[in-house]
Amino acid sequence: MDGMTWTVAAPAVGAAFTASVVEVVEAFTIVLAVATLRGWRPAVAGTAAALAVLALLVVILGPLLGRVPLEALQLVIGVLLLLFGMGWLRKAVLRSAGVLALHDEEAAFAAETKALTEEGRKNPASLDWIAGLGAFKAVLLEGLEVIFIVIAVGAGRGMLGAAALGAAAACAAVLMVGAIVHKPLSKVPENTLKFGVGVMLSSFGVFWTGEGLGIEWPGADLALLVFAVVFLVAGAGLATLLRRPAAEAA
Amino acid sequence: MDILKEVVSELVKMFVADARLSVAVLVLVGAVALLLDVGHAAPLVGGAVLLGGCLVILAAVTAATARKR
Repeated sequence: MDGMTWTVAAPAVGAAFTASVVEVVEAFTIVLAVATLRGWRPAVAGTAAALAVLALLVVILGPLLGRVPLEALQLVIGVLLLLFGMGWLRKAVLRSAGVLALHDEEAAFAAETKALTEEGRKNPASLDWIAGLGAFKAVLLEGLEVIFIVIAVGAGRGMLGAAALGAAAACAAVLMVGAIVHKPLSKVPENTLKFGVGVMLSSFGVFWTGEGLGIEWPGADLALLVFAVVFLVAGAGLATLLRRPAAEAA
Repeated sequence: MDILKEVVSELVKMFVADARLSVAVLVLVGAVALLLDVGHAAPLVGGAVLLGGCLVILAAVTAATARKR
């Protein structure tokens, strides 16, 4: 891989890793709630079933990507990245400014545990099944986002493998830390990660959309880094402008 | 079927978290495509409009949400 390719590969792998950390932490919280309440059997069964569905989707849809003309692929993925990335950036800016409350893994864990407990009171016989379904849904929904991010940052330059490696490393890291601490990973600076990922995905979005429309960016792949700086400065500036006192945000 | 509904709803939410933002981005991309194809603008002008437009949309939509809350 030459130097110029690294200017896209490094942000692609970094964005895939960071975004996946955010998603896997959220899925892990739900799986842990299921495991704490009903044991690891339904948690693992739900997770394994969801991973199997995700793998099936990748196997079925993956080869189709190679048949789409590169320019059309870049345009479609670029627009989807703009929608997804700018959505994340908007939310991260609002949370950073204190307009929206920060995502709280402890609260998510408590909410899932409460929901499962209440469901268990209503249907005690099928609680294992309901708990497994909870783990299945969490892993499936967060996993779909991971798959999109990997495809989005990797497909435009044939770096699906590298992006997938970044996502797999994130899964391994979260599972390893989760297995050690055995509680919701509330110390993960989720909004900071989301802010960074929003910046990277929005930059990829502008880059691929432009290339899909036939724009040759000056500096080629290096333009991606310039876009990242522009989005970072804009996002940080917006968060400062919109910042509210802590009491008002609560 | 409930799971399928949730998956579809989650997929839609991934890209349409804020309807104004999504519509504005789609309009912007369409406008840049027209500018390049019909208006025969220089590609870099289209690129600048795309980047600048995204920043304006981000600022406008974020500020509008903040004002409402």
